[in-house]
Amino acid sequence: MPKQPNTAVLQIAGKTSGALIELDHVTKQYPNQPVAAVQDFSMTVQPGELIMFVGPSGCGKTTTMKIINRNTAPTSGSISIDGRDVLSLNPSELRRHIGYVIQQIGLFPHMTIAENIGVVPKLLNWSKEKTNDRVHELLTTVGLEPGDFAHRYPKQLSGGQQQRVGVARALAADPPVMLMDEPFGATDPITREKLQAEFLRLQASIGKTIIFVTHDFDEAVRLGDRIAVLSNRSQIEQFDTPANILTNPANEYVSSFIGLGTAIKRLVLIPVTEARLGPASAAAGGTTTIRTTDSLRDALDALVLTGLPALAVLDEQNRAVGSISVDQISAVLGTEVPVLAPTAEV
Amino acid sequence: MVFPTATTLIATAPQRPAGRGAEIWSPKRFVTPAVVLVVLVSLFLWLSSLSLDSIESRTINVDYVIARVREHLGLTVVASALVAALAIPTGILLSRTRSRVIKGIVLGVANVGQATPAVGVIILLAIVWQTGYLTALVGLVIYSFLPVLRNTMIGLQQIDENVRESAFGMGMTQNQVLFRIELPLAVPVILAGLRTSLVFCVGVATIATFINAGGLGDMIVNGLKLQRYPVLVTGAVLVACIALLIDWVAATAEDVLRPRGI
Amino acid sequence: MNLDLNGLLTFWARRWDDILELLGEHLTVVAVALALAMVIGVGVGMLVWDKPFPRSTVIAAAGVALTIPSLALLALLIPVVGLGWTPTVIALVMYSLLPIVRNTVVGLREVPPAIMESALGMGMTPFTVLLRVQLPMAWPIILTGVRVAAQLTIGVAAIAAYVAGPGLGQFIFQGLSSLGSKNALNFAVTGTLGVVILALVVDAAFVAITRSTTSRGLRA
Repeated sequence: MPKQPNTAVLQIAGKTSGALIELDHVTKQYPNQPVAAVQDFSMTVQPGELIMFVGPSGCGKTTTMKIINRNTAPTSGSISIDGRDVLSLNPSELRRHIGYVIQQIGLFPHMTIAENIGVVPKLLNWSKEKTNDRVHELLTTVGLEPGDFAHRYPKQLSGGQQQRVGVARALAADPPVMLMDEPFGATDPITREKLQAEFLRLQASIGKTIIFVTHDFDEAVRLGDRIAVLSNRSQIEQFDTPANILTNPANEYVSSFIGLGTAIKRLVLIPVTEARLGPASAAAGGTTTIRTTDSLRDALDALVLTGLPALAVLDEQNRAVGSISVDQISAVLGTEVPVLAPTAEV
Repeated sequence: MVFPTATTLIATAPQRPAGRGAEIWSPKRFVTPAVVLVVLVSLFLWLSSLSLDSIESRTINVDYVIARVREHLGLTVVASALVAALAIPTGILLSRTRSRVIKGIVLGVANVGQATPAVGVIILLAIVWQTGYLTALVGLVIYSFLPVLRNTMIGLQQIDENVRESAFGMGMTQNQVLFRIELPLAVPVILAGLRTSLVFCVGVATIATFINAGGLGDMIVNGLKLQRYPVLVTGAVLVACIALLIDWVAATAEDVLRPRGI
Repeated sequence: MNLDLNGLLTFWARRWDDILELLGEHLTVVAVALALAMVIGVGVGMLVWDKPFPRSTVIAAAGVALTIPSLALLALLIPVVGLGWTPTVIALVMYSLLPIVRNTVVGLREVPPAIMESALGMGMTPFTVLLRVQLPMAWPIILTGVRVAAQLTIGVAAIAAYVAGPGLGQFIFQGLSSLGSKNALNFAVTGTLGVVILALVVDAAFVAITRSTTSRGLRA
């Protein structure tokens, strides 16, 4: 193996938070297939950005992602990470510096949780001590008590716990880039929402460059800095911030993909404080409260769930600063919130 | 002689929890050796109660029996070792190939091979080549090659594609994936194949007597020819006990060597 | 010694009647043994499938029978039942029991609890459920067990010729005893090839039988 790519890998590895990714006219044509899986795909991802690839299944979004860590070889085009041509690097060494999480997790069943997380550090010849420390640190980060979990085997964990280990394992060597393929897709809605929230918090502190593939537009809106809406052959229909896509869908395809309830989806992006709150006294007797850091979507969910006309809004010191009702949420959107019927009847 | 196929063995392999020690060395584990011991003691007592004629006492004595047991075990162990050394690497290579033609040929040969009677293989070899130990050894190897080969291939194939994908995705090289992930995960299935092959070998080594390759089959055949049932029964019981004990050792090894967590 | 194809063809032409007769015997002894083993195996399976201790004991005992080398098992039967068909059939039945019992038990246990519950809820007795619901659903799995047993016994029957059992094994041993003569190879090849072909044909037949006797609703 030539020396040149080796140092290039190390240069990528030297960074831990965020690298610039550039895909330039990337095409993937499988043999014996009439159309390309990915056609002429170009994109620049800024360091520390969380990019969501959204599209229907079979549109080529996963293939596009896999080209970045050379799990799939492109037919033509070039990919670079921090200016280094990925195709000239040793694929195995490259992958050790790109975190990789897939929906089915793929934990190694014959290894303990600690051993699973320690795989890449071991490949990189870290000392035992350094690896152990890192494993403990990561388990704590993803909310699993190291003393309790380190020596368990994957099958002894729940799906949500396994997924956390999957994320911890991908983060093990502190890679500057993470590729995530529907990482939360196989979990139940409640676990998924929890994992998403934890993941956002984590990303805020680690600032990796992340490519995140999903078919769930709500997830894309909730997590992404920017969203690429993809159609067949991985064609980019729109690549913009969630807010811009929701307010200004580029074409019919994007609108139909966003689907009904665009307004509701936008609520995720708007903090409660944007609404003109009612008097605190309006939230009579309800034990459910909303925080000023919550989004309007959270508020609406809570209102629908409790069936109350209004909920108290608390600030960080737990002081009631006002109340929120469906009318006030509608007012922010400038349109009637469409799923109100059940609430109104209660 | 054909034994249950690898797939039927896998399908019913009991799921064992990760906790071991007590699991592996439970009282159940010692049923087989205990039964074998009882059978051997009964055989000894029965033989002691008989007054053996000259033909019988020529074969039913410690030296003769030990020599036959040694031949039998020698044939079995050497053949199984050869099979392991040849069939496992072949299985790994074959599972690496993408060629459908090669896989189809292997599958076809495996099916015909499974349908071929061991006694036919041994006797044909003796006719076209020679009689004796070497022929028996070759026959045993040919005959018990398939279960190990097939289980190696199945063991590697049954590994969750996602596990393989994440191993490559994490930057393991082809060899690292093979030795750190695939082979450890295939161990239980490969061992099941080796176990089947060992039991095969004990059985086929019995008919090695037909081509003058020794073993305990000698006692069975002589007892039958000379109408000396004590000789026949001694040989048959010893072979049965060896088969049971070897199967027991292999089963125990399977449990001890099974990676934790699966 | 090399195989002389012309010689083999002449051999076949001259002994065609013998070959067919031995083939018929081989098939018959296997069929008889399988039929007996099915009655015993499925019956025992139905008795023990829901009782953990008898179940594991029966399966372990059947496993022991399968582990014993065939020549030893046949030899042990001779002082008791003599030579010929009887020890052959008994040995073949003993070898067939494990796959049949085990697959019966697996099949009966695999019926989803929801189906069991609704059958009992409709007022069927446990025995009716076993007969009308579980057994039909387990049928393909039981047949697979019989298929494995068939492959097993066709091979073992070849050895039984040594204790004067019926079938193509007689040709194989005739080849051995005429070692050195020019017909030795013809005998052994014919016997071995016959067994292989019989095994493959029977296996194919089982695929067809499984298809045609499995409820349409259960076919994949």
